Amino acid sequence: MKQLYYDIKKCLGCKSCEIACALAHSLTQSILTAIKEEKLSLPRKKILYSKGKNYPVSCRHCKDPKCVDACMAHALVYNKEKGIVEHDESRCVGCWMCVMVCPYGAIRPNIKTKIPLRCDKCKDKDEPACVRACPTGAIIWQEEVVVDNKK
Amino acid sequence: MKKFVIIGNSAAGISAAEEIRRRDKDAAITMISSEDYTAYCRCLISYYLAKDIKEEKIVLRPQSFYKDNNIELILDKEVTRVDPKKNRIICADKKQVEYDALLIASGASPKFPDIKGVKRKGVFGFRTIKDIREIESLLTVAKAACVLGGGLVGLKAAYALKKRGLEVKVIIKSQHVLSQVLDAAAAGLVEQQLTGNAIELIKGHDAIEIIGEGDVRAVKLDSGKALESGLIIVAKGVAANMNLVRESGIALNQGILVNDMLATNIPNIYAAGDVTESLDITLNKPNVNALWPVAVEQGRIAGANIAQAGLKYDGSLGMNSIEFFGLPVVSLGVYKTDANDPSYEVLQKSDPGQKVYKKFVIKDNVLIGAILAGKIHNSGIFLRLMREKINILSVKERFFADDFGYPEIRDIVREEEKIYL
Ligand SMILES: Cc1cc2nc3c(=O)[nH]c(=O)nc-3n(C[C@H](O)[C@H](O)[C@H](O)COP(=O)(O)OP(=O)(O)OC[C@H]3O[C@@H](n4cnc5c(N)ncnc54)[C@H](O)[C@@H]3O)c2cc1C
Ligand code: SF4
Ligand code: SF4
Repeated sequence: MKQLYYDIKKCLGCKSCEIACALAHSLTQSILTAIKEEKLSLPRKKILYSKGKNYPVSCRHCKDPKCVDACMAHALVYNKEKGIVEHDESRCVGCWMCVMVCPYGAIRPNIKTKIPLRCDKCKDKDEPACVRACPTGAIIWQEEVVVDNKK
Repeated sequence: MKKFVIIGNSAAGISAAEEIRRRDKDAAITMISSEDYTAYCRCLISYYLAKDIKEEKIVLRPQSFYKDNNIELILDKEVTRVDPKKNRIICADKKQVEYDALLIASGASPKFPDIKGVKRKGVFGFRTIKDIREIESLLTVAKAACVLGGGLVGLKAAYALKKRGLEVKVIIKSQHVLSQVLDAAAAGLVEQQLTGNAIELIKGHDAIEIIGEGDVRAVKLDSGKALESGLIIVAKGVAANMNLVRESGIALNQGILVNDMLATNIPNIYAAGDVTESLDITLNKPNVNALWPVAVEQGRIAGANIAQAGLKYDGSLGMNSIEFFGLPVVSLGVYKTDANDPSYEVLQKSDPGQKVYKKFVIKDNVLIGAILAGKIHNSGIFLRLMREKINILSVKERFFADDFGYPEIRDIVREEEKIYL
């Protein structure tokens, strides 16, 4: 299962990934027209800054997803086979329970659409749009690193 | 083969059943519910009444779920007694079911005030699909409705009834709505949304009688005033459904008492969800947090432990996400402080023009409460700081910043970082 990793030493905070993300989730997929869409497509990834470094923050598709526990509409579901948290927008009621509980702040409310913004790993595409958009190669799309939990 | 029985077919019961099945492929699992409807999203009944969503969207698990997971589902059957000595439960129709381990996930029911006329036709709790069906049948005749109680459930009911074209008044004993979870400033913002959408709020008053002949006609207030109303919703909190264990020897308080494994004082009987009183992380004492995410998490851990996993439960805390007419508000932990206790620190900022308000309650450098109105995008970060009881001295200056987020807490929270190289 592929995951997104970030080499933060390389991240310049240029937000190319944010733009690519918004564009990839727009209706028209072109920057000239996407900015005129009635429901403006917003990035699901955010660059945040801490102690001299930039961090791209987006959904990690947790194995024990708090957002899934909290979703009172059963719109968020963990798909074990695909290793992703899926969102059924037709069930979502915009209650923001998921936003309230995400321990990474990686799911944000979109007040206009009443549907939360969250990385979907660009669903069926081979790789997420942010990966190619990053000019420094700070975003890495690779098989999951298995960490042994010897807690 | 072990035999596990779960009383309740809602948030806690379902997540427990899933977890037991994930860990134990062979055990026999029986779920019993007093309702005659398949598992549904209880929190969505107001959206359903409002016609914001279709009936199919409130189904939490379809019938096929039970078949796929080899779970025996018994609907429309009330358990009246638990008999720990004989490891069996007894139903209203005398049916008995034996178990090796039992989960009580019987939830809660609305509390009805002891006032004259409360049993009249047209007075409803707001808890079940059945309530909604009955309310629905009155919508054509009732023109006005009164909601007793200004908590989250009452306000959701008010919203739904307004949306269906009724004149709606909410009668609130406190000085502001949502007084259990919001301070006056945040509640004021919510009230603006409600009154701006023609939901009338009557604050500082209580109902003392429900007037009618057979059907309800009006509500009489403690001020003497009578409000005409063909439909009354009682939303004055809930009480744990514990009647079935009253004489069982299971320890009770406001809910069924559990240890940090979610077991009751009887080792093979567990409890989870709204019926449970467990450690509250921010209050640091046992409390009932009757909330959906809490019920799901407790169900999962109790289910794991029924399957012998030996998982520990850290405890729950109050958390509410409130959304009316486009204004999001999140309330976490406690907001009331003891002004005489110098170990409390309160940080707050408001921008009423923008409908933004934030408040943080800190005790001994640990965040124990937060209210976020208008801007809620990083509320999960604050919840995490509370859950993990992190010393926030180094980051509290940044709490009000819009770009405050995970990177700034990653060094101080419990995390084996995997994704940032
Ligand atoms: C309108 C409304 C809105 C809500 N909104 C929110 C919200 O925004 N956020 C939030 O966190 N929570 C919300 N809640 C609360 C949330 O629904 C509950 O916390 C949650 O449903 C608790 O789940 P549970 O499994 O513990 O119990 P319940 O959902 O109460 O289910 C109890 C189950 O036990 C069964 N049962 C009970 N007694 C017996 C018996 N004697 N014999 C057999 N079966 C029995 C019932 O039939 C049912 O299947 C809301 C509730 C309502 C009513
Ligand atoms: S939204 Fe948050 S909690 Fe849910 S899977 Fe993504 S990172 Fe995990
Ligand atoms: S906003 Fe949508 S996805 Fe999030 S918890 Fe509510 S219903 Fe589920």
